[in-house]
Amino acid sequence: MSELETDLHRHGGIGHEDHAPGDEPHESVGHWVRNYLLGLFFAVVLTICSFWAATSHMIWAPAVPVAIVVFAIAQMGVHLVFFLHITTGPDNTNNVLALAFGVLVVFLLVTGSVWIMYHLNHNMMPTDEMMQMQR
Amino acid sequence: MFGKLDWSAIPFNQPIPLITSVILILGILGVLGLITVKKWWGYLWREWITSVDHKRIGVMYMLLGVVMLIRGFADAIMMRTQQAVAIHSAGYLEPEHYNQIFSAHGTIMILFGAMPLVIGLMNFVAPLQLGVRDVAFPTFNSVGFWLTASGALLVNISLFVGEFSRVGWLPYAPLSETTYSPGVGVDYYLWAVQISGVGTLITGINMVTTVLKMRCPGMTYLRMPVFCWTTLASSLLIVAVFPILTATLAMLTLDRYFGFHFFTNDAGGSPMMFMNLIWAWGHPEVYILVLPAFGVFSEIFSTFSGKPLFGYRSMVAATLFICVVSMMVWLHHFFTMGAGAAVNTFFGISSSVIAVGTGVKIYNWIFTMYGGRVRFETPMLWSMGFIFTFIIGGLTGVLLAVPPADFLTHNSMFLVAHFHNVIVGGVVFAVFAAVEYWFPKAFGFRLHAGWGKAAFWFAFIGFWVTFTPLYILGLQGMTRRLQHIDVEAWRPMLQLSVVGVAILIVGVICQVIQLVVSILQRDKLRDETGDPWDGRSLEWATPSPAPFFNFAVMPNVEGEEAYWGIKQRAIDTQQLAPEPDYRPVEMPLNSPVGIYTAFFSTVTGFALIWHIWWLAGLGLFAAFIGFVVFAWRDVHEFEVPVEELIRVERGRRAARDAFLERIRQGEGAPS
Repeated sequence: MSELETDLHRHGGIGHEDHAPGDEPHESVGHWVRNYLLGLFFAVVLTICSFWAATSHMIWAPAVPVAIVVFAIAQMGVHLVFFLHITTGPDNTNNVLALAFGVLVVFLLVTGSVWIMYHLNHNMMPTDEMMQMQR
Repeated sequence: MFGKLDWSAIPFNQPIPLITSVILILGILGVLGLITVKKWWGYLWREWITSVDHKRIGVMYMLLGVVMLIRGFADAIMMRTQQAVAIHSAGYLEPEHYNQIFSAHGTIMILFGAMPLVIGLMNFVAPLQLGVRDVAFPTFNSVGFWLTASGALLVNISLFVGEFSRVGWLPYAPLSETTYSPGVGVDYYLWAVQISGVGTLITGINMVTTVLKMRCPGMTYLRMPVFCWTTLASSLLIVAVFPILTATLAMLTLDRYFGFHFFTNDAGGSPMMFMNLIWAWGHPEVYILVLPAFGVFSEIFSTFSGKPLFGYRSMVAATLFICVVSMMVWLHHFFTMGAGAAVNTFFGISSSVIAVGTGVKIYNWIFTMYGGRVRFETPMLWSMGFIFTFIIGGLTGVLLAVPPADFLTHNSMFLVAHFHNVIVGGVVFAVFAAVEYWFPKAFGFRLHAGWGKAAFWFAFIGFWVTFTPLYILGLQGMTRRLQHIDVEAWRPMLQLSVVGVAILIVGVICQVIQLVVSILQRDKLRDETGDPWDGRSLEWATPSPAPFFNFAVMPNVEGEEAYWGIKQRAIDTQQLAPEPDYRPVEMPLNSPVGIYTAFFSTVTGFALIWHIWWLAGLGLFAAFIGFVVFAWRDVHEFEVPVEELIRVERGRRAARDAFLERIRQGEGAPS
């Protein structure tokens, strides 16, 4: 949809430049190749680390899930920075806000659902009492 | 060859659906025949069906919404009359049929009536108010509309081929699982809602991008009309929560088609998880509907009071507050699940807190009228009726948000009355007000005022006569969805409610007459200046009906209430702004990809419902081909010559000059 992006730039002439996802600043090819290779390297290392944490006995067993969660969060960071090109620059405000909104929605849904399901039958009447009432 | 489909799918032994479908099919054939005889197909294809113009798509959304609103209203008439006669008797609707009717009523009214109406408004109005020529992705927009229409078509096909869902407007598990609903009804629901859900998501993405990225020069966020803010908030909610709906229904589909156990009673499934997920979508959904309605009222109160909106910034803040908090209240739909006090308290309080944001808005609207020069035109009547109705609906909502009170009124007629009170009083009144208000911008003439006012009074009184008895019945203990009734004491209120429905029918007839009369008298009601209501935002800066390129020259906004500023300058200096430098404009080309994709989506959906696997594969493949062909398109825009722009713009300027001339001679205030 390249024609639309030019349109966006033509009409959205408010404030400074603002990048849409996939709408990258002009850099040399070498820059991107290096960037993606570096990202790949970190992603592979973090993946190997997760497998290593699970299979070796270097980490105290009850702490293994925590370690894997840490590796997973780091993995997300690597993907965001190297592959989705999220930066803290002013040209990225919309992307960062969209990400924050998405994280908020997922957070509300997941924690809300877990909390609600944990409470599934706190106030449910025990079955034998219900039988008593029906009699 | 044809999966589960055979002649037993046609309801030959049920007179009501059979006769209705025959009449419907004859009606559709009649319309198609008329179009063929009059040779309108070329015009329709070029100007409407393949159009990517946001205004045309908006109008088509509205048309779809109105047709489905009438279908849903017919269901409502049947339910009210059935309950009024089925006291100590079976009534005239079989239980199976009655269950389909209330399920279809809810599904149609929310997903295929109110949603297209609200999305149509956002499509039509927001780009004009933002001062731009189209939405961010015009062809995508057309695809979204046609997918929504495809879903609506599937729901209506179920009337004639097979059956519709019998499990309510949300297919609660485990009732919707194959164990209890082996027929195709729930499958019709699932595929219709999935296909139209994709269409809605497309619109959401489109409108978010449009508001964030496509504003005319000078239109900063805090200069946008409130309707644009509510469009943004509503579209953000669509993008946030429609994927939840899609995923939830996909899980139910897996349960039904492949024997999964997400929501079954056995094998580790949890039916309550379905309630949890569907309401995590379902509650924000009502805010998706009502936020643009709040935007409509904000525009109307300010225009017809002749004053800027009171508390613009607090209005924006309240909108965004509601947008976020609406995603934190969903458990109030199942307080009675059996959760502990902590959960119920949290969600009870968060539900009540929404009333703070809404209250801010209500006060702002009242203060906008205070001290203003209020004109009681039809849109203003709907808006004032809304304030009265919505406050009562909101108060009963706060009552229902209190868990102990909810335990008494859960699933009662009180609840039914409450949500009709907010959705009819909020969304439907807003849509009628908006149609009156923006009709001249779409078609170039106003709607007849007298019939419009009559329609308002009948609808307003009819609404209250219908639903006040339901509140009372709810407090007397009547539960919702009863096919027949064994309590003699409820008879008077049920019959009074039918009287209300009769008054509502008169209101609907008034609206039809209003449309016919307005078309007949269109020359008398013509809007010459493009600004029939003395408006304040940019959509009134262009001629009526708005040309397909919206603005000959992009407006340059220098403050809040963009058009009001321009107009005041012209009146102060007694002349129009100097004629600008016209440049050719590039507009997107029409594309048939929307209707093409939707056609094959309908085929695929129908095939999946009836387990015709080869046809489903074929439909998906054909839809994909459409996507590929579209992606390889080379030319996607055409140039509008300067002469065309000048012709349209000079016409508008001449009308405005004449208007200034009238003011100069003191002949009268703006009409």
